[in-house]
Amino acid sequence: MYEIRIYISGHTLKSTRLVEDFRKLLDEELKELYSLEVIDIIENPQLAEESMILATPTVEKASPLPTRKIIGDLSDKERILFGLGIIAGKEEEK
Amino acid sequence: MRKRILVIDDDEAIRKSFVLTFEDTEYQIYTAESGEIGLKIFQKSKFDLIFLDLKMPGMNGVEVLLKLRKIDKNVPIYIITAFDKEFFEQLKSAGEWGLDFEVLRKPVDSEQLVLMVKGILERPTAY
Repeated sequence: MYEIRIYISGHTLKSTRLVEDFRKLLDEELKELYSLEVIDIIENPQLAEESMILATPTVEKASPLPTRKIIGDLSDKERILFGLGIIAGKEEEK
Repeated sequence: MRKRILVIDDDEAIRKSFVLTFEDTEYQIYTAESGEIGLKIFQKSKFDLIFLDLKMPGMNGVEVLLKLRKIDKNVPIYIITAFDKEFFEQLKSAGEWGLDFEVLRKPVDSEQLVLMVKGILERPTAY
């Protein structure tokens, strides 16, 4: 089970779309094998500080370890999944 | 063509650190010591990315953001701030107005800054 967090700055149209697109990507790749927590750091700066988030939007794979964080264009599916270690993880399961 | 980054910050040390960090990279840094000057520069030419300080004398970061977004709705704008509830209170109003922005934690080291800019302007990057 993957525990994934996405850190955003406020609930704007752009961030809402970004979260929706990312959830769709996870649905396609991981089916039900994930949980996604959306953290608005404007509301919860402490959580971002504790996780040492550098900037928004950041995606973090909190579990399984090791944790990984990615910043950048979240529409680049392959790089995001590889960066989070999800593609490699799937291959290892086979 | 080198990508252009505008840094609007009243702190000279921060402006210099951006210039030094990116001097041998494919990115070109332009700086402004106030929101007013930053807006003038932005009106004259195109930028790929903007870093904007939140707390500045004169126009603060949110006021500058509001004006920048009237000129360009799409350019990525990163507000430089400590991740602290006190500072984020000011940003809540920007969110309520529907203004798009991202935040960059202060302080940030040079290596992380380059990684982050590559992530935004080139391709997703792990950190």
